[in-house]
Amino acid sequence: MITQTQGNNEMINNLDKAVKENSKDAPKWLEEYRSNALNRFQELGIPNVKDEEWKYTNISSIAKTSFQGAQNNEDTTLDSLKNYINEKDINIVFINGFFSKKFSTIDDSSSGISISTLQDAILSDEKKIKSLLEKYNEKETTSFVALNKALSTDGILISIEKKAVMKKLIHILHISDTQATSFTSPRTIITSEKLSEATVLESHIGLNNDQTYLANALTDIFLEENAILHYCKIQAESKKAYHLGNTRVWQERNSNFNSLSVMIGSAINRNDLDIVLNGEGINSTLNGLYMPFDKQHMDNHTCVDHRFPNCTSNQLYKGILSDASRAVFNGKIFVKDLAQQTNSYQLNKNILLGKDCRVDTKPQLEIFADDVKCTHGATIGQLNEDELFYLQTRCIPRKEAIRMLSKGFINDLLFHFEDDNVSQKIHQLLDPSLNKL
Amino acid sequence: MSKITEENLSNEDTIAANKLSSREYKYGFYTDIETDSIPAGLNEDIIKMISEKKKEPSWMLEWRLKAYRHWTTLKEPKWPNFKYGPIDYQALSYYSAPKNFEEGPKSMDEVDPELIKTFDRLGIPLSEQKRLTGVAVDAVFDSVSVGTTHQSELEKVGIIFCSMTEAIQNHPELVKKYMGSVVPYSDNYFAALNSAVFSDGSFCYIPKGVRSPLELSTYFRINASGSGQFERTLIVAEESSFVSYLEGCTAPTRDENQLHAAVVEIVTLDNAEVKYSTVQNWYAGNEQGVGGIYNFVTKRGKCAGKNSKISWTQVEAGSAITWKYPSVILQGDGSTGEFYSVALTNNRMEADTGTKMIHIGKNTSSTIISKGISADESNNTYRGLVKIMPSAENARNYSQCDSMLVGNKCSANTFPYIEVNNSSATMEHEASTSKINADQMFYIMSRGLDMEGAISLIINGFCKEVFKELPMEFSVEAVKLLEMKLEGSVG
Repeated sequence: MITQTQGNNEMINNLDKAVKENSKDAPKWLEEYRSNALNRFQELGIPNVKDEEWKYTNISSIAKTSFQGAQNNEDTTLDSLKNYINEKDINIVFINGFFSKKFSTIDDSSSGISISTLQDAILSDEKKIKSLLEKYNEKETTSFVALNKALSTDGILISIEKKAVMKKLIHILHISDTQATSFTSPRTIITSEKLSEATVLESHIGLNNDQTYLANALTDIFLEENAILHYCKIQAESKKAYHLGNTRVWQERNSNFNSLSVMIGSAINRNDLDIVLNGEGINSTLNGLYMPFDKQHMDNHTCVDHRFPNCTSNQLYKGILSDASRAVFNGKIFVKDLAQQTNSYQLNKNILLGKDCRVDTKPQLEIFADDVKCTHGATIGQLNEDELFYLQTRCIPRKEAIRMLSKGFINDLLFHFEDDNVSQKIHQLLDPSLNKL
Repeated sequence: MSKITEENLSNEDTIAANKLSSREYKYGFYTDIETDSIPAGLNEDIIKMISEKKKEPSWMLEWRLKAYRHWTTLKEPKWPNFKYGPIDYQALSYYSAPKNFEEGPKSMDEVDPELIKTFDRLGIPLSEQKRLTGVAVDAVFDSVSVGTTHQSELEKVGIIFCSMTEAIQNHPELVKKYMGSVVPYSDNYFAALNSAVFSDGSFCYIPKGVRSPLELSTYFRINASGSGQFERTLIVAEESSFVSYLEGCTAPTRDENQLHAAVVEIVTLDNAEVKYSTVQNWYAGNEQGVGGIYNFVTKRGKCAGKNSKISWTQVEAGSAITWKYPSVILQGDGSTGEFYSVALTNNRMEADTGTKMIHIGKNTSSTIISKGISADESNNTYRGLVKIMPSAENARNYSQCDSMLVGNKCSANTFPYIEVNNSSATMEHEASTSKINADQMFYIMSRGLDMEGAISLIINGFCKEVFKELPMEFSVEAVKLLEMKLEGSVG
């Protein structure tokens, strides 16, 4: 898999040095953790289209670009952010990968939650952080997860305490405000303790629409028994940026994970969502919405691993493709032999509006238990010509009719969250796209 | 966990706990007949020897050698969802024929009575008086075609139906034109191997405007040990013609794994239709998974003409490993491709099968209906590709893949690849995996059917969509075959 021509050392300027510098003041185990991850990344190399997992997503353009470490931008003004920050929420703001105390509002965070940067957390509770970081087997990580592990310095740890029910929205905001071809490695860890409930919104926003940069995000979510987490990820990076996102979710007995992923920006976007259902009675909802334009490329990979009986997982991914855009969906469902009475659903729906758009979808089932109900489906089609005609006879211009029907197509996802605040933010970021249709 | 097992026991008793025991493989006998084999091994001399035995023209030998040279550059593919023992290609004998076949197939009367008896036992009577009505059979025994029935009758309407050896000698222009046009020798590892060493097979040519009065069929029988079977079937349907083609296969019960690497090519021109049905019942190995045929076959059809149609129907009930993807290239505008499949695996069988539909022409449509049933410790995989090329305006595809699991040690997988490069395409794919519904079982049994009857009824219902596509005789046989395989099972 390692191809010399793609030169995985050139992609990140002075990769080895960067990793070493990161670990200057770090404890020994962390230094080791990073160098192990670096070795893993170098061993795997940058995947190319010959790799089954990357068959439809060619990232040679990323591999060929040379990125340098991002610089903190002190000049970012509150004005440029005011659209995204709502004072009522708990805001955690990162600018170019650096935690911004100025804009974040975590000090007055109510009881039931503790939020700290990873650096602080390491100082205060080294043991806990270590166990969280090492939860996943290093041998199973993919290239970009390894790269994030090696390079991420700043990150956030959110712990929702036992029995806490958070009314306030927790908003993690990653702002890219850069003039250089840089990379960031946002790292987020969320732990939901027993019987807790919270809503988390993770948004990635690019302020400079003409800038190429790479965001290689990694989010780990741990749900303890009976915990509920609503998690929404909005990706609205700049149109020339690359976003490689990895979200790993670990669920224990009777927990409920309810997620929505909204993709609007970036030139190449890849999202990996891996869920392990490690207990009985777990409920998982994985929804997604993508609206690529021009030559945007949006790739969603989900992997749901049913390990125990009586669990349910639901997946619904919808896309509206315009112009010459591309979308990829690959959903994997594993049902291990122990996982009897599993209900697992997966549906991918695509509407093709553009003339040269392209969809590759691969819903995949691997089932080793017999008493299960698993279905998957995929549809690719156009808007109904009769419906368009009907609306036109009612004096609605064709463009508007297309917009209305498209909106109707994704409506259920837009209002997927009970929290109005989230829906409002989704609308705010999505509306410009919808108006472009 | 334990609680769940207990709760389910009432169902599980009847369902998962029961082991699937299929009746013994009734075609597992071996015909002791003098054979003429060439030494084991694979090199250019062996290929020359095969070509010589078949008295082939030099262009054919050239083609074989080209294929062989290409094959030596290829690596065995490793991507399927199963593992198989290493195949020693040098230890196989690539030609094995009953003695006295040096001169090629003769008239039916001269065929060794032992052979006729063999095919009689398989239910394929070759002798004049007992022939199946309405079906012309080309019987292939190991590496050669031992006889083709009803040839004269077919000749009257201009249909050419003969063994590949005869076709190469008597109709070289047709063979030259179409062989390799759908599956080139460079297509894949096993197709390249087949192109180099293929020994016989069936050739079928339907002239313009002819609707074949008979159903044509090939019956493959592997008999010799230490050999593989490599045949090629080529079907050419000229404008506005129609033929329904059947294929059946069996092999003796043996502890070794034998390789069957065939190639089937179909070409349909404007408005022509070919319907190709297979009931595959190769020996599948015993309960421990010892022995059985490796069925690694390349089957592909090309709808070259406008509004042409190719339909594959397959019932895969045998083979230790089935690995094939009957495909259709929809090149002509308005052409149609269909794929109906039932794949049953039990014991330790493995199946990785499905189809490929490549839409190139405008207004092309394809339908895929696949039913997988896995029992015991078997592994059943559907793998399919639907590809809509940028030129395929208004392409339409409908796919449905359902799997049924019988017992909790088996597995069912679906890997559908859907690649859409044209925005006017409409396609739907759905798949489901489940087990037999306990309520349905209860209902049917409360109406007085015993357990087996109930299962058979449900499985039949599950496969109905596919069975109804099979020609009458095959449909009956397929139902019986499934019943036999699932006998004693509950599921």
